[in-house]
Amino acid sequence: MIQFSNVSKSYDGDVVFNDITFNIEKGDLAYITGPSGVGKTTLLKLIYCAEHPDNGQIVVAGWDLNKLKQNTIPFLRRNVGIVFQDFRLLFNMTVFDNVALALKIHNLHPKEIKGSVNEVLKEVRLKHKEHVFPQHLSGGEQQRIVIARAMVSKPTVLLADEPTGNLDSETADTIIKLFREINARGTTVLIATHHSELFHGTGRRVIFLNDTRVEKETIG
Amino acid sequence: MRALIYSFQTAFKSIWHEKWINLLTVLSVSIGLLILSSFLTVTLNVDSVLDRWAKSFGLVVYLDETLSKKAENTLKDFFQEDTDILEVIYISREQAVNEFRETLGPNASILDELNENPLPSSFELKLKRELLDTASVKKKAAQIEQMTGVEEVQYGEKWLSSLNSLSEILQISAMFLGLAILIAIIFITYNTIKIFFYRRKDEIETLKLLGATKGFIRMPFLIEGLFIGILGGIIGALALFGIHSLIVFKGVEFMPSIKTIIISVPLQIYISVPVAGAIMSFIGSFIAVGKIKY
Repeated sequence: MIQFSNVSKSYDGDVVFNDITFNIEKGDLAYITGPSGVGKTTLLKLIYCAEHPDNGQIVVAGWDLNKLKQNTIPFLRRNVGIVFQDFRLLFNMTVFDNVALALKIHNLHPKEIKGSVNEVLKEVRLKHKEHVFPQHLSGGEQQRIVIARAMVSKPTVLLADEPTGNLDSETADTIIKLFREINARGTTVLIATHHSELFHGTGRRVIFLNDTRVEKETIG
Repeated sequence: MRALIYSFQTAFKSIWHEKWINLLTVLSVSIGLLILSSFLTVTLNVDSVLDRWAKSFGLVVYLDETLSKKAENTLKDFFQEDTDILEVIYISREQAVNEFRETLGPNASILDELNENPLPSSFELKLKRELLDTASVKKKAAQIEQMTGVEEVQYGEKWLSSLNSLSEILQISAMFLGLAILIAIIFITYNTIKIFFYRRKDEIETLKLLGATKGFIRMPFLIEGLFIGILGGIIGALALFGIHSLIVFKGVEFMPSIKTIIISVPLQIYISVPVAGAIMSFIGSFIAVGKIKY
């Protein structure tokens, strides 16, 4: 589902990745980890085409990103749900509208949008806050809206960048549980985190990045 | 279609949310269009006056005294067949002297002193409006002067030249003023939409990351620009109508002669004001949104 072949990336001479190769199968839930600044966010950005590799090939959900034209990028992104580290919620919109935005982009019928948004808000246990603006919610609740927005369009791949970053362990557990539920439905999930407790004992694949390379791959 | 509905909803939300800056932009656009349409109306009025003057303009072709009646008729037929000439008026020697007598009024008796009629017969030729520029009239006069039986061709060269200069100045001024105002409208809308675009930069970035197409992102801004232009144009056209009506109905009380000069504003101007506003504002917003890169 996500395939990196000999990918290199650098910024103004600073090498971030040097010839990295890995493959994440369809339906996997995997973790990318490594010390801060190793390039976990950059790796996710390469997957949703916010960054482009200097060398190598990236294939996501069957799309060869090297061959992707500017006008096709939106259609790739519709297949990739993203849980951003900085949330990227729109504070002039209610919880409902923030989640619905992802479906409006898909040009769906309002009735269909309403049904899907209500369903996904129930799943993240925020249905009762649909009319609230994000700034009135806690960090954990905001994170759950971001997850709801990422999963509402039923993407084939879900990427999460430090999804438990500033959350207490109880809320973090709830979030990880949500990812497992999403993955159980067949969505490939890739979580970037530097919190080792998130993947310890999960039995899931963990890719360790260090010093511009994939240092090792283990089972968590 | 649903994307278009979304774009309209987003555009109108933004129009309402940013109502003061939008109002100022609409008023600036309408003032610009009002100045432009007023100037066009003045130009049209002056042009209509010039047109009326031009209708009275004619070439006077004086004929050779020895020319036979038959030859005069041949010349008349020739002029009548010429498509450049709208009207041919023949003035016989007798008519000419009678007209001269009328002009002289009480002094007409001096004509009685003369043994014979000194005035030649002539043709007065009214040319087509589009030929009434100095060069064309001069050329036409020279052509006619070469004809057998024609003694002399006279026309008000200086008068015609001033008339054409005035018309040209007005047209050139209208063109430059129009161009300047239309560019100003593009610039005004560009600035407003650019401000909105920057204010919503985070939202646009999020939309891009969620998979919104360029059209989906651009459309609300273009609709907003279009709205500004159309509304500015409608207000401008209404203001023009108001000012024109005021001049026609109230101005006559102070200056009755205004009625003979002023003409009604053609419907095309009222329609073209919002259309011009819409086109220019659309261009302004299109440039403001610019290239969207992923």
